[in-house]
Amino acid sequence: MNAAIGFGFVLLGLSASALGVVGGVYAFITAEGARRRRLVPMIRLWIGLTVVSAVGAFVIMEVALFQRDYTVDYVTQVGSSTTPALFNFAALWSSLEGSLLLWVLVLGIYMTAMLLKFWGRLGDPLMILAMVVMLAVAAFFFALLAGPANPFGVVEMPADFDGPGPNPLLQNHVLVALHPPMLYFGYVGFTVPFAFSVAALATGRLGEGWLAETRRWTVAAWGFLTLGIVLGAWWSYEVLGWGGYWAWDPVENASLLPWLTGTAYIHSVMVQERRGMLRVWNLSLLCATFALTILGTFLTRSGVVESVHSFTAGAIGPLLLVFFAVVVALSVGLIAWRGDQLRAHRIIESPVSREGFFLANNLAFGALAFVVLLGTVFPLVIEAWDGTRLTIGRPYFDSMARPIALTVLFLMAAAPVLPWRGASAEVLSERLLGPALVAVAALGTALAFGARGFYPVLTFGLGGFAGGAALRQVILAVRRQGWRGLVGRTNGGMIVHLGVVLLAVGMAASESYRSEQTVRLEVGETAEVDGHEFRYIEPGAELNERRHRVFAAIEIDGGDVHHPAATSFRQTGQTVPTPSVRSGFTEDLFLVLASMPSPSTNTIDLRIIVRPLVAWIWVGGIVMAVGTALALFPGTKRRTIAATSAALEERESGDTGDHSATPPGKVEPTPDSPGDLQDHESAGVDGNGDGAGKPTELTPTGGDGP
Amino acid sequence: MPSPSLSLTARLRFIVWMTILAAVVTMMTVAVVDRTESETTSERIGRLNESFACPTCDGETVAESNAAVSATIRQYIADRVDQGASDEAIRNELLVAYGTEVLTNPPAEGFASLVWILPVVAVLLGVVVLGFVFSRHRAGDREPTDEDHRLAEMVRNRVMTTQTEEHLGGDRRG
Repeated sequence: MNAAIGFGFVLLGLSASALGVVGGVYAFITAEGARRRRLVPMIRLWIGLTVVSAVGAFVIMEVALFQRDYTVDYVTQVGSSTTPALFNFAALWSSLEGSLLLWVLVLGIYMTAMLLKFWGRLGDPLMILAMVVMLAVAAFFFALLAGPANPFGVVEMPADFDGPGPNPLLQNHVLVALHPPMLYFGYVGFTVPFAFSVAALATGRLGEGWLAETRRWTVAAWGFLTLGIVLGAWWSYEVLGWGGYWAWDPVENASLLPWLTGTAYIHSVMVQERRGMLRVWNLSLLCATFALTILGTFLTRSGVVESVHSFTAGAIGPLLLVFFAVVVALSVGLIAWRGDQLRAHRIIESPVSREGFFLANNLAFGALAFVVLLGTVFPLVIEAWDGTRLTIGRPYFDSMARPIALTVLFLMAAAPVLPWRGASAEVLSERLLGPALVAVAALGTALAFGARGFYPVLTFGLGGFAGGAALRQVILAVRRQGWRGLVGRTNGGMIVHLGVVLLAVGMAASESYRSEQTVRLEVGETAEVDGHEFRYIEPGAELNERRHRVFAAIEIDGGDVHHPAATSFRQTGQTVPTPSVRSGFTEDLFLVLASMPSPSTNTIDLRIIVRPLVAWIWVGGIVMAVGTALALFPGTKRRTIAATSAALEERESGDTGDHSATPPGKVEPTPDSPGDLQDHESAGVDGNGDGAGKPTELTPTGGDGP
Repeated sequence: MPSPSLSLTARLRFIVWMTILAAVVTMMTVAVVDRTESETTSERIGRLNESFACPTCDGETVAESNAAVSATIRQYIADRVDQGASDEAIRNELLVAYGTEVLTNPPAEGFASLVWILPVVAVLLGVVVLGFVFSRHRAGDREPTDEDHRLAEMVRNRVMTTQTEEHLGGDRRG
């Protein structure tokens, strides 16, 4: 029953989205004016049905999981009568087919949000095309669900059959319920700006209107992706027994790639909004970000790369690759077609300016994305080339990423205080003095605590520099605007920067100063590692219908008792290590059993890893998420700038309706020019006004002309 | 460099920045030079474990993996370290036993060295392109000519006429 209803929803979703694509394209190509508006309710209907199907299929699968309905193929793979409710709920995305259900659900949620936000404006050809792209992506994923990755296959099982439940690693920690959905909200969220860029390219309306429409969507998706990645690192730290949080695993890399291009975009788009430059580049970044989410899905869901995350290989690999190729071809083709309209005749006056540093930021993030992509894909290429099996792992990525990360920290220190268009030495010296003093203080503190070594200490220094700059901007903004100095894109962005600094410091410290020892302990014996005493009190075991847990009670420094364990899951027979972590502000003590307690020998091998400042990473990630949320609130508008920059930016765009023009060549000095620094320091002022979404607000006065 | 004609604040600023620079250089030198603590044996073993890939499992290092072969390699590394073998010797022995797959760091020779070279080339290319962009743009910085004003006027007129029509964006398509 569930199988039939669920598959019905999948088919409904496939047909509704496919019909929506056809209807939307028809409305765009042939119908004009009033007739097109009459087609709008139909388009709404197709979108609505697609969303209903996505939600329906998801709900039915959850129902089937909770009913342990073993007539449904997917439930026989990941369901089990013994799985607790939370992990049973999360079991839906614990394997390939179900994770696609989550994908379409999230896509459906984004489509609903778009539908509501742009309800009255669906007659606009640009909106129609954006929706067509969303529907096309939905159709592709529904097609996967209907064919090669059908979770609703009907099977017949003996009456006493009980499934294995999800992978043991996926039912060991509560973060399993949070990390994948957050990641998917990030991944799928980038479909929205991609849809708008395709629509803008296809309609030729390449002004900044579509940018203003999608800005929040992009930032929100980026925030979800950030949170998803950090939560994933946290999960891996708490669950996998090796004491690390980032292994440069292909799946981790796949999630990092769109994050890197997305981060580059979030910065370079400000150059476009302010100065009307980098249009081709920004569109390419958006398209690349979306394409990379698909490539990442291909890499991790087709079994071509080896990873702890990869699900069993299915037939969907080639289809995802084809989809990726289509996305790339479409993007490149459209950008090449509209290339001449995208050219800006603006100039970058000085590399020592906000836009100059944003370009350097883009170079750094582009380079890192290139390194990550190359390191992930290269083993595949070389194996296809001459059969050599090659592993590219940590040392490679670490040595490549470190200098880039330090460059980024330096840019983070200088860029926020730099004015647009250029800066005098005087201005730089005045604004960077505070951050530089913080950097010196950070260096001194690190040395006093015994930190040594080039990379980690430089990270602390540059972290202080970047953190000082971000703090300076936040303080200035709060002083000027009160609590409003904390919201809006620029101010929220500075909070995100603070989070990045915490994360960078935490990573540098925990990677560079970890100490590790494996000790053999008898019951009652004490070992001392890195100034801490670990006493093995007693072994223990815990048995229930789901799992068998063997643990050792370890008392740390005569205080709290921890229970590192090995957990065997009865359904699958797999045993996974279950570390126990004492987290603290300054250091983490990570305990994992290297050998099981056994009654015969009375001893255990206990692996003890001491890592400083690990908690800073999670705090940093949360601060980044909070900063992103603050950035989504409307900031303070500065109408003069909004009007000015809109006029300047629309000039050569070929946009027909909304905008006026100014002459090419030398532009009038904007309030951001170096001569006018103090009043218009960027802190706390969102250049384009977050409310600039409606075209009318972008309409300039035309007073800039000759 | 400050000259006698510079104001007091400018000189003060110069002094402050030079002090900051000196402090940073001094502290970074201390950080690099003053590394009294050498690597302990267990840290060395840990580092070696992390630098080899588990040959049978999926993208895990020997340190992370729970596979039997990883346990064997860990034991081997520990034994060889005890016997006083160098990192290089251990690496070569494992390379012979398990092939390039066991290295997490790709070799810097042959076709595989591309993985090291390409990013450097890409970054250099990026820097060159950016430098070109800056220099070209500086050269193109000019006052608007009469022709520019004429074009702008033309565009403005066209925009004003199209603004009254329905906004379809179709007139520029194709």
